[in-house]
Amino acid sequence: MKHSNVEHEKLRNTVIGTSVKRTDLLDKVTGAAQFTADIPLPNLLYGRIKRSNVAHALIKRIDTSRALALPGVKAVLTHENVPRVLHAGSPHPRSASCTKDQYILDNKVRYWGDGVAAVAATTEEIAEEALELIDVEYEELPGLFTVEEAMHPDAPLIHDREPGGNLVLPPVTFARGDIDKGFAEADIIIEGEYEGGRPTPAYMEPNAISCQWDANGNLTVWISTQTSFMVRGIMAEVLGLPLHKVRVLVDHMGGGFGAKQDLYQGEFLCALLAKETRRPVRVEYTREETFLAGRSRHPVKTWLKQGFKKDGTITARQATMVFNSGAYGSHGPGVTNVGTSGLLSLYRCDNIHLEGKCVYTNSPIAGAYRGFGVVQAYYALDIQMDEAAVKLGLDPAEIRLKNAVREGDIAPSEHPVIGHGLEDCLTTGVKLVDWQALRKRPRDTTGPIRKGWGIGCEMHGSSAYPGIKEQGNAIVKMNEDGSAVLLTGTAGLGTGAHTALAQIVAEELGIKFEDVSVVHGDTDIVPWDIGAFASHTTFMGGRVSQMAAAEVKRQLLERAAKILETEPETLEVSLGVISTPDGRTLTVREAVAPTLGVPAPQFVGSATYHPTKSYSFAAHFVEVSVDTETGFVTVDQVVPVHEIGKVIHPVAAAGQIEGGIQQGIGHTLYEDYQIDLKTGRSLNANFVDYKMPLSMDMPPIHTKILETAPDPGGPFGAKGVGEDPIVAIGPAIANAIYDAIGVRFRHYPIKPEEVLAALESQTA
Amino acid sequence: MKQVISLTVNTDDIDLVVEPHRSLLDALRNEGGMTGTKKGCNVGECGSCTVIMNGIPVNSCLVLAVEAQGADIVTIEGIQDSPDEPHLLQENFMIRGAAQCGFCTPGFIVAAKALLDENPTPTRDEIRFAIAGNICRCTGYTKIIEAIELTAEQLNAKQTQEA
Repeated sequence: MKHSNVEHEKLRNTVIGTSVKRTDLLDKVTGAAQFTADIPLPNLLYGRIKRSNVAHALIKRIDTSRALALPGVKAVLTHENVPRVLHAGSPHPRSASCTKDQYILDNKVRYWGDGVAAVAATTEEIAEEALELIDVEYEELPGLFTVEEAMHPDAPLIHDREPGGNLVLPPVTFARGDIDKGFAEADIIIEGEYEGGRPTPAYMEPNAISCQWDANGNLTVWISTQTSFMVRGIMAEVLGLPLHKVRVLVDHMGGGFGAKQDLYQGEFLCALLAKETRRPVRVEYTREETFLAGRSRHPVKTWLKQGFKKDGTITARQATMVFNSGAYGSHGPGVTNVGTSGLLSLYRCDNIHLEGKCVYTNSPIAGAYRGFGVVQAYYALDIQMDEAAVKLGLDPAEIRLKNAVREGDIAPSEHPVIGHGLEDCLTTGVKLVDWQALRKRPRDTTGPIRKGWGIGCEMHGSSAYPGIKEQGNAIVKMNEDGSAVLLTGTAGLGTGAHTALAQIVAEELGIKFEDVSVVHGDTDIVPWDIGAFASHTTFMGGRVSQMAAAEVKRQLLERAAKILETEPETLEVSLGVISTPDGRTLTVREAVAPTLGVPAPQFVGSATYHPTKSYSFAAHFVEVSVDTETGFVTVDQVVPVHEIGKVIHPVAAAGQIEGGIQQGIGHTLYEDYQIDLKTGRSLNANFVDYKMPLSMDMPPIHTKILETAPDPGGPFGAKGVGEDPIVAIGPAIANAIYDAIGVRFRHYPIKPEEVLAALESQTA
Repeated sequence: MKQVISLTVNTDDIDLVVEPHRSLLDALRNEGGMTGTKKGCNVGECGSCTVIMNGIPVNSCLVLAVEAQGADIVTIEGIQDSPDEPHLLQENFMIRGAAQCGFCTPGFIVAAKALLDENPTPTRDEIRFAIAGNICRCTGYTKIIEAIELTAEQLNAKQTQEA
C-alpha cells in the first residue's frame, strides 16, 4: 500500500482518526459519478417551469393554448389542472419548522420568480419556447419587500394564515433571570443594531429531478436532496399516494449546504408531467433558477443591548431578532428559534430577555443554510463583545475568556454543556498567533494598507434538538466472508459522510475499513432517515451505525466463543482478528465460515437512536488588510481553532473547516443576493454579479483541531463540524477591520464603498 | 437542420449528430453520452464544464458543437492513463481532500491537466491563476491547490528518475 495512513492505522490498531481514502471519490475524480441530471432515461422529456415576472399578484387568467399547439409540447400544467393541496416546503415530521403555506401551483404569486406553470417537451429548446407562449394576466398587489413594510398594520397579507400580520409564527421569547436588575448592576451598557444580508448557498449542482411512473402506478423520483424520506413523505401526501408507491433515489449530490432540504415545486411538477405524458421527465434548474427559486440565508435585523461590569462580566443581555422569511415559511420557525435562543449562550449571562420574529415578504425565499440562525445571532453578539472590550479597555481575548461558556452551563438546547471547548479554542489560538505580541505590535501607518487582527467565536449544536426530536436508524449485516454492509438513510452532500460511517462500523465491529460497504440513497431499501442537516450526520448517523455494528459484534463473538470454547466477554476483535486473553486467534472470516457444513446464521443488527444535542466550539483568529484608497478588504490569513470531540477523518474534518471559511469570507465581504426594492425583481442571479471567493481570493488557513471535549452522545465522542466554521469567521473579519482602521461595521457584507465612505466620514 | 460533426474525444474518432445551436457541452453529455463534464451554469461562469480543446482548456458550454469539427478534445473521462489506474492528479485529489461533493471536480482536474501539460513546474500563483475560472463551493480551494502542486512535484521527480 502506498498510503502512509495505513501504517498509522496498524500502529494504533484503529480505523477512526485516520484519513482513509473516501469511497465516493474515485467515481468523482474520473467522471463516472452520476449526479441526478447524468442519469440516462430512455424516451426522456424535458420539463421547464414558467416563473412570474411580478412579485405579488393574483393570476386573473392563464392561457396555455398557444404553448400546447407548439409541436413537441407534450403537457402544460397550471394551477387550474394540478392538485390543490396545502403543504409545507420544509416538512420535517414532528418539527416546529413545519409551515404549511404552499401549493404546487397557486392562483397567487408571492415573489418575483414564483412558479406559475410547467411544460414538458421533447427538447429543452421547445420547452423553453413553450414557456414564452403561456399568457398570464396578473392583477398586481402591493409588493412588500422589507420586514418594516410587511409588519406595517395596513400591509396586505401575503398568506392568509395564523398568526396574521405577515408573521410566519408567533414571536418567540427566551428569558432567564431579571433583566432590569441585570442592567441596574451594569457599569456600562452597549446597544446596537446589526444587520445581515442575503447570501445564498450556491451549491455547484443546480437542483435536478427526474420522475418516472410504472404501469402499476409506482413513482420513481431521482433527486438531488438532503432529505430523501422527507421528499417521499410530502410527495406521497400531496399526490395522494401511499408511501410504498413512491421511491426516492439519490446517489451523489453536488452540495446542498442546507438548502436542499426543501420541496421546491419542481418535484411535484416533474411527477405530474411524467404522469400526464406517461414518459420520464427531467426538470433541471438553470443556475438563474437556483437563485430565483432557491433558498437563501434569512436576512436579519438584530437589536442587541448588554450590560457589563468594569471587569468585563456581562450582567444583562436583551435582544430582538427580526428575520425576513421571504415569500414562504420554509425553515423560518427553526431559524427564528435556533438563532434567537443562540443568544442564551456562547458568553455567560444570568439575566437575559430575547425576542425573535420571522416575517413574510415578497422577497426570495429564505430557508436552511449552513449556520441556520446562529450565523446571524453570533455576528451581532461577537462584534458587541469587541465593542465592550474597546469601551472597557480590555483585551478582546480576555473578555471572551472571562465570559466563555463553561462545563455545566445550560446550553440553548436546555442541556448542560460538556467540557470547556470554547476556553480551549481561545487559549490555544491565543498561543498559536501569539496574541499578546500582536496586541503590542507597532502599526505601519505609511502607505494605503492598514492591517488588523480580530477574533470570532461560536458554538454550534449537532442535531436540531429540541426543535426537532431527531431519530437516526441503521442496519448492519455481515456477509459470509466476514465483510459487512451498512444500510443508512443519510445523504452524502459531499462531506464524505458515508466514509466516516463505514470507518465507525469497521472500528466498532473490529474489521478493516476496506471490508465495509455502505448502501444509501434508496428509500425502498435503507432504513428511514430524517435527512442530512444540522451537523448531525457523523454525530447521529455515526452513533446509530456504531450501535447496529455493536449488535452484529455481539452475535459474532457469541459464535466465536463457542468455536474457541470460551466466554464471549473475554474476546477482543480488531482488524478482522478475534483473540482470546491467552493468545489464541480466529479470523472473523473463520468465525462466520460453515461449521460441519452448516453456514453461520445471518448476523444482522439494527438500531434506532434519539439524540439530544452536543455542542462543538470554535475561535477564529483572522488577519486582514484594508486598502484605504479603494476600501477593499483582503483576508491575509485565518487561524481557526475548532473543538469537535473525536475526529473520525482528519482530512475531511479540515475540509469542512476550510470550505466553511470560504463561504463565510464570501458572506462577510462580497456575497449578497439582491432584489430591486420597488419591484422585487432579482438583480444578480448569476455567478458574475453574485461574487463568491475564487482561488485567487483565498488566504492561507492554518487549521487547528482539538479533541478536548468529546460528547458521549456521538460515536467514540465525535461531534459535528459542518456548520461551525461559517459562524465564527464573520465577526472575526469585522473585528479585524475595526482593529485595522478603527471603523465599527455592524452588518454584512461589508462592501468596499462602505469602507471608503466610513473612512471619509472618519477624517471629516 | 442537424449536422454531423467528426471529432476526436479522448483519442477516439467519433461522429455526433447535433443541432447547429448545440453547445459542445450538451453534445458531449447528450449525444456523446459522456456525463463526466458537468453543467453548473451553462454561461461560462463556473468552469464545471472545462474540457481541453486542441490543447487549450475551454468552457465547453461556450463552444458550439459545430466549432469542434475536427478538434481534439480531452474530457475528464480521458484523463486516466489506463482504466485501472487513476492519473496522479486524480489520486492526489482523492488523498488530499481536494474533492468533496465532486460536481466541480472534473472541471478542476481537466484545468489542472491542461496547466501541467503546458507548464510542468508551475508556481503556487500560477496554479491559483490556472483555476481562477473554476468555482468550488466546498473545499476553500487550498486542498485543490495543494493537490495540483504535489502532482507537479511528483511528475517532475518521476521524470528526473526516468532520465
